[in-house]
Parts: sequence; C-alpha cells; structure tokens
Amino acid sequence: MARPDAPVADSRALVAWGRLAAHAAAHGRRVSVADVCAVAVSSARLSGAWLAAARGGGPDFVMCVTDPVCEQLAELQLMLGEGPCHDVLASAAPVLAADLGDEEFSRRWPAFTPAARQLGAGAVFAFPLIVGVIRAGVLGLYRGSPGPLSEGQLGDLLVLADAATVMLLGSADGDAENEDGAALDGQAPDLALHRAEIDQATGMLTVQLGVSAAAAFARLRAYAYSQDRRLADVAGDIVARRLRLHRDPG
Amino acid sequence: MDTELLSDTFVDLADTMVADFDVIDFLHLLTDRSVRLLAASAAGVVLADPRGELRVAAASSEEAELLELFQLQNDQGPCLECFRTGRPVTARDLTGPLQRWPRFADAAAQSGFRAVEALPMRLRDQVIGALNLFRAEPGPFDPADLRIAQALADVATIGLLHARNLRRRETVAEQLQAALNSRVVIEQAKGKLAERLSIDMDRAFQMLRDYARNTNQHLTDVARDFVDRATAEFPPPARRQPPG
Repeated sequence: MARPDAPVADSRALVAWGRLAAHAAAHGRRVSVADVCAVAVSSARLSGAWLAAARGGGPDFVMCVTDPVCEQLAELQLMLGEGPCHDVLASAAPVLAADLGDEEFSRRWPAFTPAARQLGAGAVFAFPLIVGVIRAGVLGLYRGSPGPLSEGQLGDLLVLADAATVMLLGSADGDAENEDGAALDGQAPDLALHRAEIDQATGMLTVQLGVSAAAAFARLRAYAYSQDRRLADVAGDIVARRLRLHRDPG
Repeated sequence: MDTELLSDTFVDLADTMVADFDVIDFLHLLTDRSVRLLAASAAGVVLADPRGELRVAAASSEEAELLELFQLQNDQGPCLECFRTGRPVTARDLTGPLQRWPRFADAAAQSGFRAVEALPMRLRDQVIGALNLFRAEPGPFDPADLRIAQALADVATIGLLHARNLRRRETVAEQLQAALNSRVVIEQAKGKLAERLSIDMDRAFQMLRDYARNTNQHLTDVARDFVDRATAEFPPPARRQPPG
C-alpha cells in the first residue's frame, strides 16, 4: 500500500488515528479527547495526560484527566496562573520540560515547579491545540521520571494534539463538548491538516461568512465532510475562487 | 556575483538579528535576497516538522503554485532527499528523460523551472530543513554561488533558532513549532486580505509585510491582529500611533 517514497507524515498520522479508533472501540464509544489522552500516555510511555479547552485566555476548562496527579497538575496551573499550559497558549509552541529539576524551570515557574515535583512529576510536556490564530486548548502530559521525548514520540504527540484540536473545533458554534468530551461524530479524520490552502481558505471564509476564524474553519470542514471531499481539495477550490460558501440563513 | 548586494545582504540579515525580530519576515528577506544574489528564479525555506512533513516557512513568491512545489516534496524531490541525507542535492535539468523524481520534475517544469538545488539547514548533527533554489535555465549552479547559498542556509538556521538559550535540546523543537504556527497565522491573514480586496496571495503578503515594516511591528503580530479582528478593514483603523 505504501509507496517506497511515501511521506512519513501520512503513516505517522494514520497509525495515530488507528490507535485512537481502536482505543475508542475497545471502550464502546466514539473517538473522543479522552482517547487522545489515553493513547498519548501509552504511545509516548508517559505517566498521565490531561486536556484543557481554552474558553477564555487560559487553559481553563479541564475536559479529561487520566489520573489524579494530572487533575492536580491542571488545577495547580489554573490556581497559580503560571505553568507550561499557560506558556503554550501564549507562545503557540510546545513546552518540553524534560527535567523539572533543571533550574531553568524553577526560575520560569517558581510556584508551579516545586509543587509539581512534590506531586511526583519529573517531566512535564504541554502542546498547544492551535491552528494559527485559532486557540482550542492544551494537551498536558507528565512522566514520573525526568527524561527527554524521542523524536518519534514527539512526532506522535504532535499528531495526537492535531487530532484533539480537530475534535475541539468540531462544531461551528463552539459548543464542542458533550458528556463524552469533544468527539469526532463519525467523521473520517483528514490527515492533511497542514496545507497552506486550508489556512488561506479559512481566512477567506472569515470574510465570505462574516465569522471568526474558528467558525470559518469548522464550516470548511463541515462542507468538505458533507460533500465527501478532502479538506485540502475544497480549500484549493476556495483559494482558486472556484467555490464560495454562503452565510447561514438566519 | 554582485558583491555589493552580497555584503548588503549580510549586513541587513545581521542587523535584523541584533534586535527582536519576526522569524518568518526574516526568512522571507533571506529567500528574496537568495533569488537576487544567486541568479535564481525562486527560493524557499522548508522546515522539517517532527510530524514527518516538510513545511514551507518562507518563499520568495507567495503564489500558490510555488508553495505547491515545496509541499509536493513531501512525496519526492530534492528537499526531501536533502533533509534525509543532510547533503546538498541538485537536479540540473528537470525536463530531460530518466528523472529521479518524475512527479516533482513534471510539476516544476510546468511552472517554468529547469534546475533546482536544495541546501541543508544543519544544527550540529540535526537537519532542521533546507533552502531550496529554483532556476529557469538548465545546468549546474556556479560553485561559488553554492558556497554563498550554503552560507545563507546557515544564517537561516541561526535566525530560526534565535532563542537566547539553546542549552536544552528541546528548545530547537519548540522554536520550530512556533515558527510553523506563525506561518499558519500569516496564511490565514493572507486569505482574509486577499478575499477582502480581491487580490492574489502574493500581493496580500506584500501588503501585510509592508504595513508591519511601516508601523514597526512584527509581521506575525500584524497578521494575528488582522485575523482576530471582527472587521476586515485594512490597513486597520488607527488604534494608536506606531512607535518611532
């Protein structure tokens, strides 16, 4: 099936989506952010994961945690107003604190770092769930023992963070969460998230539809899904000005 | 070789790096100057995302056709090979028979390019991306030009990893993701502006960049403010006087 020169990206994303689907099926549910947390922990050999949606400016709505330590790590950051999850939303880049014993981190988060270590975290990793200006939330992870992520683990976590982002941005009205947490709603995952046309089309749709970037992105995905077409192809048509989307009546 | 332009280029690049700067704007300046210095028709900086993709950070033209040529190299092409081997990779004639990368060669030739060169962006033992040069004429690049091209690729690496502190290995991955997200923000802004003014993507990019320069702001900040704003007015209504 794979071409000899097939890009690693598709295979990495495919494997990740396969694991998510298998994990959800084993629990008899649709794929949701809870599966992302669980699969992230097992594939990168971590101790725990949590996911917080960004309602306001910060990672302020905790949607799932895999263990009590995660719950405390997430709450600690909300309470203190500092920590890796705040930083990733500000910088739009992951924070990879492979060793919380490193003095850089006690300088950076003077209150969070000692408290996190006391809870038993040796390493904390946080990934922004972000597409350009669209901020959906944060995926947080910890390991009891310090140590870096391998290149492969980093790649897997980035792909899983993409999956969670897509789930959180699932509905146009921003009301993504339900009792399972944000879920994929039976939609086929689109693996080509990172194409310039998708971002350009999102920008164009903010004007065509008179909506925010998050809502424009959701409409783009919903349209591609309803037409059973690839997201990148629909985006290409919009950028080439062969296709326009229209405002919802009412 | 235009030696005056060459020295001006390194002065400009060094000047930029002395102060706080926008990494995408910096890489764009670098691709612009690569084209002018190296008798190339187009240039781009492509970064290796740990997801396993090559992604465009900056290009001398923001036209979709050129960006597509970089994206295509996720399947095959000199950038992918350069990234995998860490060595410069060249194709001297993309229209001849027996092409090593037939799909890439076809697409490049259709866009009017006959020769291509990819130079690695290396940090110690790690390859983080490549500088890709396209030319309309077939034939080898001049060896003296290639040494300058490699120097420009090295400057691109330094600019990209402008963090004060590279003591932690993880900082490289963090900086790379920040740059890639900046690029997404800029694409979203290009789309919004192109739609608002019925202009092409390249023109939209130039307008965003000119406005950022003229108001002494970072390109990414200008782009983010513009996409986040409820209105599509551009230039944005004056909120405050630009500094300086």
